Amino acid sequence: MRVMSKIMLVVIFLSLIGICVAEEIVTSNAIRSINDDCFIIEQTIEGLDDIRTSQLVNLVDNMEYDWLKDESNLCYLVNHKSIQEIGMELARMKNYLGENDIKEFKASLEAIKYYADSYLHFMGANLHNVL
Amino acid sequence: MLTIVIRSIIVYVIVLMLFRLMGKRQLGQMQPFELVLTLIIADLATIPMAEVSVPVLHGIVPLFTLVLIHFLLTTLSKMSNKFGAFISGKPVIIINPNGVDYKALKTLNLSIDDLFEAIRGQGCFSIDEVYYAIMETNGKISVLTKAANSPVTNETLKKQVEETELPVNLVSEGKILKDNLKLAKVSEESISKFVQEKIKGGKVKKVLVFTLDRNGKVVLQMMNGQCMTFENVEMSA
Repeated sequence: MRVMSKIMLVVIFLSLIGICVAEEIVTSNAIRSINDDCFIIEQTIEGLDDIRTSQLVNLVDNMEYDWLKDESNLCYLVNHKSIQEIGMELARMKNYLGENDIKEFKASLEAIKYYADSYLHFMGANLHNVL
Repeated sequence: MLTIVIRSIIVYVIVLMLFRLMGKRQLGQMQPFELVLTLIIADLATIPMAEVSVPVLHGIVPLFTLVLIHFLLTTLSKMSNKFGAFISGKPVIIINPNGVDYKALKTLNLSIDDLFEAIRGQGCFSIDEVYYAIMETNGKISVLTKAANSPVTNETLKKQVEETELPVNLVSEGKILKDNLKLAKVSEESISKFVQEKIKGGKVKKVLVFTLDRNGKVVLQMMNGQCMTFENVEMSA
């Protein structure tokens, strides 16, 4: 085998390892980030009758900003259609926040947490996904 | 649409690079595992091209993985004959001096018609002409004809002949092939001079083909002319 071919094979092998590691890091960071944001919002809305506070608006905006940033990175690695639910749920959540609909707001928050967990499940390397 | 165009270019370049990496054997003499690989690559390459929501990496990563598997299998096949036989199979004799080996034919799932077609492809129109026929691992059938039906060669006639020298193509469609100049040890100037001498007003850029062998035989054809042969030509380096 020519030297060039050997070099190419090593490059391909290393690229594959690099891509797999990058996927794990980017995915877990994005999911952790969204889970942390959800947790903070849950803590903040506890006991509130009116959720239209500037603090909560900021928290939701931050969560949306963080997610959009992570989503753009995730788009290099996963099917765009598979990760669009969180963005849609965030848009709904902002609407419920404006309408002070606590019940629906909480439901959206739960939905985001559920989607985040399910992404982690289908993106990670596990036996269920392999088979 | 621009995304699809760019993705198609990326995937095309990568698939081309991978096929080059796998070698020319891939194209002409495919072993079973190479055929499988080629089919899968063709299918995988189209997914990120047509589906914009799928990242290009989803197409590239399996391609890279398959190429690594291919090299692993090839290396193991070279290292172990048993493994090579397991992956690619073994050549099977289907015609021997006793005639057609029907058992071997059935094992290979070949019909007599298939066999006839294959041996006709090798220039034998009767089984009687064939001494041995072997089904190779790449699916081709090699035929050894009986001595009575084999073409007469100089060796059989015990005749001494000079080896034919390989002609080197020096000019192709008006372009001098610089790599071949070194091989033939001639200079661009000597080619131009020769063309001018032999063809009135002849220029290298009007030459269709110009070959030279070690015996000094030059074959020259201009784009709008006839093929000419010159013997014992001496050209300077």
